[in-house]
Amino acid sequence: MGVSTLILVVLALAAAGYIAGRMKAKAMERAGARPHSRSGFHAAHVMNWVLLPSLAVIVLIVIARPIIVDNAVRAEFPAELRQDETQSNLIAGMVSQIAGGLTLLDEGEREQVRVGLVPLRPLLAEKGVALGGADIEPFMVRAADTLNGLNSTFSGALWLLTILAAVIGGALGWLQIKPEMRARNRVETVIKGVLIAASAIAILTTVGIVFSMLSESLRFFSMVSPVNFFFGSTWDPRFAAADSTGDEGGQYGLLPLLWGTAYISIIALIIAVPIGLFSAIYMAEYASKRVRGIVKPIIEVLAGIPTIVYGFFALVTVGPIIRDAVAVPLGLGSSGSSVMTAGVVMGIMIIPFISSLSDDIINAVPQSLRDGSYGLGATKSETVRQVVLPAALPGIVGAVLLAASRAIGETMIVVLAAGVATRISLNPFQEMTTITVKIVSQLTGDTEFTSPQVLVAFALGLTLFVVTLGLNIYALHIVRKYREQYD
Amino acid sequence: MKDGDGALMGDTKVSATNVNVYYGEAHAIKDVSVEIGDKAVTAFIGPSGCGKSTFLRCINRMNDTIDICRVTGSILLEGEDINAKSVDPVQLRARVGMVFQKPNPFPKSIYDNVAYGPKIHGMATNKPDLDAIVESCLRKAALWDEVKDRLDKPGTGLSGGQQQRLCIARAIATSPEVLLMDEPCSALDPIATARVEELIDELRDSFAIVIVTHSMQQAARVSQKTAFFHLGVMVEYDDTDKIFTNPSDKRTQDYITGRFG
Repeated sequence: MGVSTLILVVLALAAAGYIAGRMKAKAMERAGARPHSRSGFHAAHVMNWVLLPSLAVIVLIVIARPIIVDNAVRAEFPAELRQDETQSNLIAGMVSQIAGGLTLLDEGEREQVRVGLVPLRPLLAEKGVALGGADIEPFMVRAADTLNGLNSTFSGALWLLTILAAVIGGALGWLQIKPEMRARNRVETVIKGVLIAASAIAILTTVGIVFSMLSESLRFFSMVSPVNFFFGSTWDPRFAAADSTGDEGGQYGLLPLLWGTAYISIIALIIAVPIGLFSAIYMAEYASKRVRGIVKPIIEVLAGIPTIVYGFFALVTVGPIIRDAVAVPLGLGSSGSSVMTAGVVMGIMIIPFISSLSDDIINAVPQSLRDGSYGLGATKSETVRQVVLPAALPGIVGAVLLAASRAIGETMIVVLAAGVATRISLNPFQEMTTITVKIVSQLTGDTEFTSPQVLVAFALGLTLFVVTLGLNIYALHIVRKYREQYD
Repeated sequence: MKDGDGALMGDTKVSATNVNVYYGEAHAIKDVSVEIGDKAVTAFIGPSGCGKSTFLRCINRMNDTIDICRVTGSILLEGEDINAKSVDPVQLRARVGMVFQKPNPFPKSIYDNVAYGPKIHGMATNKPDLDAIVESCLRKAALWDEVKDRLDKPGTGLSGGQQQRLCIARAIATSPEVLLMDEPCSALDPIATARVEELIDELRDSFAIVIVTHSMQQAARVSQKTAFFHLGVMVEYDDTDKIFTNPSDKRTQDYITGRFG
């Protein structure tokens, strides 16, 4: 029986605690006491006393178990194997496979395997467990036995300790029910704690993502110098040989990818900012309620189209049109995939972001400012240009930067429509490629996470993250500056 | 009609006849007729929701900005029907300035707030002219001495009373003939209110002023004529002294003695 069953049991105990607490508190009220808190709070307080200690026990054991078990298993490994981390990781994987297989055998068969009478591999194959990799050695079977033994001990301990914690906690909580007990305030504290925990999880996840990227990136930079990466103008990672571990002479210049990303994003913004902003102004200031009710949802439908569909659109429709109508006649290029194609389609993709956010922001400008301007004899467009837009500017800048970081991180459109050639050029009708495209191409296929050809993807991802983070911080800075000025 | 400078108090500046206002189905103003004198302060008093602000907003056609609002009847400014097709509401609003209940300076510098109207109406062709207009309007609004060293600072950084005087300066910068004030002191403390009232008294020499107020003391202090509105009807319109000492209508009597409203 797994942890989820246990959690159900704990919840049932909590419900029981709630009911018991409520009954006691009700009885207290009936006896004529005037308690500080109403019975519902006493009941919730007992419930918290059941839930919190037992959930803490579950979390502790679930976290500690794999660490302790893994150490015990590796203690069975021969000393020279323990020195080699890669190898012992592989063997540890095998051991857990064997352990899984052993549980399928009956006690007699297991005994025969332990003393070496019967070879394990064919026996397990019979049961449908295929063991891969190296030969099975006796120490592996011993380790697997240890693993199974510890696991069953831990399962028992988990159940016992959890239920014990729940029952003792519940009893303590129940005993605390007295008229003067401030259950209401204590429940409030628990609610606050739960809310803090929720936001802490969100923050910790972000930190965790950054650190996982950081550690892989550091491995990459131990193989390739940061100067080569950040200032190199040639992208040529060569082949990722299956078990290569060193720098095979590939070049990992970031600049062409950064240029491609920036160029495509700028074209996207040049298209999306005016269209998005103007449609927002139309919807917020000029359109009647009825028109707005129709137009706004239609524009927002654009935001719901999956980016891969935009990718088709770029590949099949926009790319050929731009190639045949502009690029070839001007002699600027002959490829359907180009910076222009990707930029235009990406621009269309981010229009709804800009228009929808800007529309909300423009609507939030107080009507009194518009009245003031109309009252002085200004026309609608004068009012929009000179009063409404300046007041909405910080929010609009925020919306644009948000759209920009979306454009920079966008993957599917550029994978399909920007091409794969790395190039630093001003001609927008040539193929170029972006950071995201290269992350995809370095990580797809049969890869091992030891070669710089693959690890470079993490360095690229980290760079992308830093760029968008910088953009967001800058956006916040601008917003704050204007807010001080206009508040 | 005579032009502004030679006119005596009592010359009619705005003449409204049988004005009705509808918000969708609701009949907000019923058959109001009133003559507003030049170089004088006319106060509109009455309980909340009686239609006095709505009527005020008819005089510069601010109600046009509300989709569901419909106005009938005639309002003449200097004998010209302001609802006529030939009248551009945008031009009209330069002639009939407005100050709102809540100070609403634009998110711009103090200078640009005052220069806003003159700029859009092309009243100054060069910077020195514009500077002169801004200075004289700020002086008329009794704000110049307080802000002359920080004209480039945002108008939103001023105190509430200063903001409202800035809005008055902004309104008179387009050289209007009529100045409409919709409860200009309701968001201000007594000291700021006193300053704005002094200001209104001074501005009376140059404009026809119409003020909507909830404070009967204020109406008594600043106005020469007072109109009492109740439930969308103009109950009584007379000299301020008469309204407050010897009203002819029972409802006016009840309102000013505090029996309702």
